[in-house]
Amino acid sequence: MSKFASPGTHEVYHDRVVKILVMFSIFWALLGMIAGVYAAAELVWPALNLENPWLSFGRLRTLHTNVVIFGFGVSALMGTAYYSVQRTSHVPLFAPKLAWFTCWAWQIAILLGGISLLAGFNTSKEYAELEWPFDIAITLVWVCFAIVFFGTIATRRIREIYISNWFYGGLIIVIAMLHIVNNLAIPVTLTKSYSLYAGAQDAIVQWWYGHNAVGFLLTGGFLGMMYYFLPKQAERPIWSYRLSIVAFWAFAYSYIWAGPHHLHFNAVPEWVQNLGMLMSLVLLAPSWASMINGIMTVSTAWEKLRTDPALKFIVLALAFYGLATFEGPMMAIKTVNIISHFTDWTVGHVHSGALGWNALITFGTFYYLIPRLVGAPLYSVALANLHFWLALAGTMLYVVAMWGAGVSQGVLWLSLDELGELRYTFTEIMQAMYPYYLLRFIAGLVFLIGAALMAFNLWKTIAGRHTVTVHPPQVTEAYA
Amino acid sequence: MAYFIFAGDMLVMAFMIGVVIWVSLKSSRKSMDRAAAIPLNDEVRHG
Repeated sequence: MSKFASPGTHEVYHDRVVKILVMFSIFWALLGMIAGVYAAAELVWPALNLENPWLSFGRLRTLHTNVVIFGFGVSALMGTAYYSVQRTSHVPLFAPKLAWFTCWAWQIAILLGGISLLAGFNTSKEYAELEWPFDIAITLVWVCFAIVFFGTIATRRIREIYISNWFYGGLIIVIAMLHIVNNLAIPVTLTKSYSLYAGAQDAIVQWWYGHNAVGFLLTGGFLGMMYYFLPKQAERPIWSYRLSIVAFWAFAYSYIWAGPHHLHFNAVPEWVQNLGMLMSLVLLAPSWASMINGIMTVSTAWEKLRTDPALKFIVLALAFYGLATFEGPMMAIKTVNIISHFTDWTVGHVHSGALGWNALITFGTFYYLIPRLVGAPLYSVALANLHFWLALAGTMLYVVAMWGAGVSQGVLWLSLDELGELRYTFTEIMQAMYPYYLLRFIAGLVFLIGAALMAFNLWKTIAGRHTVTVHPPQVTEAYA
Repeated sequence: MAYFIFAGDMLVMAFMIGVVIWVSLKSSRKSMDRAAAIPLNDEVRHG
C-alpha cells in the first residue's frame, strides 16, 4: 500500500476545534480592542485612569498588545492552520486530543497572563512582557502545536506540501526559536525574573525577537492564511505557485536580519544598524511578491467582489499589506528614521499592518469559515458589508491621525532656534497632539464597533448549529 | 571580522535563494499547477 493511499470513508476532518479557536479569537479581538480604545481615551482624557494602577496606561497598553497579538492573532492562526493543514494534506489532524489541549491551554495562558499584566507583573521586554512561568507554559503549548501541525504533514496522503503550510511551518519554528532565546532569564521569585542579557546585547536580542515576531507571526503566519483562503474564496488557484515558493524562501532569509532597524542611533555597532537598514530594503521584494501574487489571483474574479464580503476584506487586507510593507523599509532608512523614531508615526505604521492587514484578512477568513463550519449561510451579508466600511474608515482614520501626529512630533523635536536650542518644549509638543489623539480614539472606536457587528453576525450564524462533518477526498493518481 | 562574517552570511543567503529559484524553475509546469490546485479540491461534503 502506498504511503499516499486514499482515505477510508469513515475519516472526517477535525473542525470543532477550529470553530472553538475562531470563537475565542473573536472574543480576544473584542477584549483587546476595548483595552486599546480605553487606553487611547486615556491619552485624550488622562483622568480616565481613575487613579487605579490596574487602569493605568502602561498596564492597559501592554494588555492590549498581548491580547490582540497572542489572543486574537495566535488563536486565529492556530485555528486556520488546523483547518487548512488537514485539508491540504487530505488527512484528519494528527493527535486531535493534543489539538484540543493546545486550544484550551492557550486560552488559559492568555487569560491568566492578561491578569498578571494588569496586576503589574512585567519583564519590560516589549511583546514579551509575560513573566517566566507563562513563558514556560507558552513553550509547552507551542511544542504541542508543532507536533499536531507537523504530525499532520508527516501523515499526509499527497506528495506536495502546499505553500500555506510552509508559511505556517515557518511561523511555528521561528517563533519557538525567538521566544526561547529572548526569554532566557534567571527566576528570582514566582513573579520576577532577570533577563540573561544586559545592555546593548539585551537590546539586540530583544529586537531580533520583536521584529521577527512581527515577521514570522504577523506577516508569515497571516500569509499562510492568505495563500490558503484567498484561492478558496476566489475559486481559483494562486496566480503563480512558483513565485509563492521563491517569495517564501526569500522572505525567510531576509526577514531575520532586519531587527536592528529598531535600534538606529543607539548604542549598538554602526554596521549592525546599517545591516538592519539594508536588509529591510531587500525585504520589500519578497513582501511585494506575495502581495502581487494575491492581487493577481483575484484579478480574474473581480466580479466576486460585488457580492462576497469575505473576499472584499481579503483584497483590502492585501492593499494594506502592500502599503505597510512599503512603509516599513522606508522607515528603516536612517535619514527617514531620524524623524520617525520614537514618534507616533511608528504607531501608525504598526496599525496599518495590524488593523489593515492582520485584522482584515482574519475577518475575511472568518466570514468565509464560519458559514462552512456550521453548514449555513452568513446571518447577514448587509451587516458584513457595513463592517467592511467601518473597518476601512477606522483603519484610514487611525493611520492618518498617527501619520500627522508622528511627522509633527519628529519635525518639532528637531526644530532649533537661532541659538541652536530646542524651539519647543516636550509639553508644548504634547499639547499639539490633542486633535490627533482624539481622532485616533474615534478611529479605534469605529473599528471596534465594526468588529462587534462581526461578532454578532457570526454568533447568529453559529447559534444552535452543530459543526458539519467533512471528509477528505479520494486521492487521485496525480497527487499520489 | 564583522564585515567578513557579514559578507559570508550574504553569500550563503544568495546561494540558498539561488538554490530555491533553481529548484522552483526546475519543476514542471504540470507539477506546479497540480500543487496550486490543492485547495480547490480538498474536501467532500455530504448534504
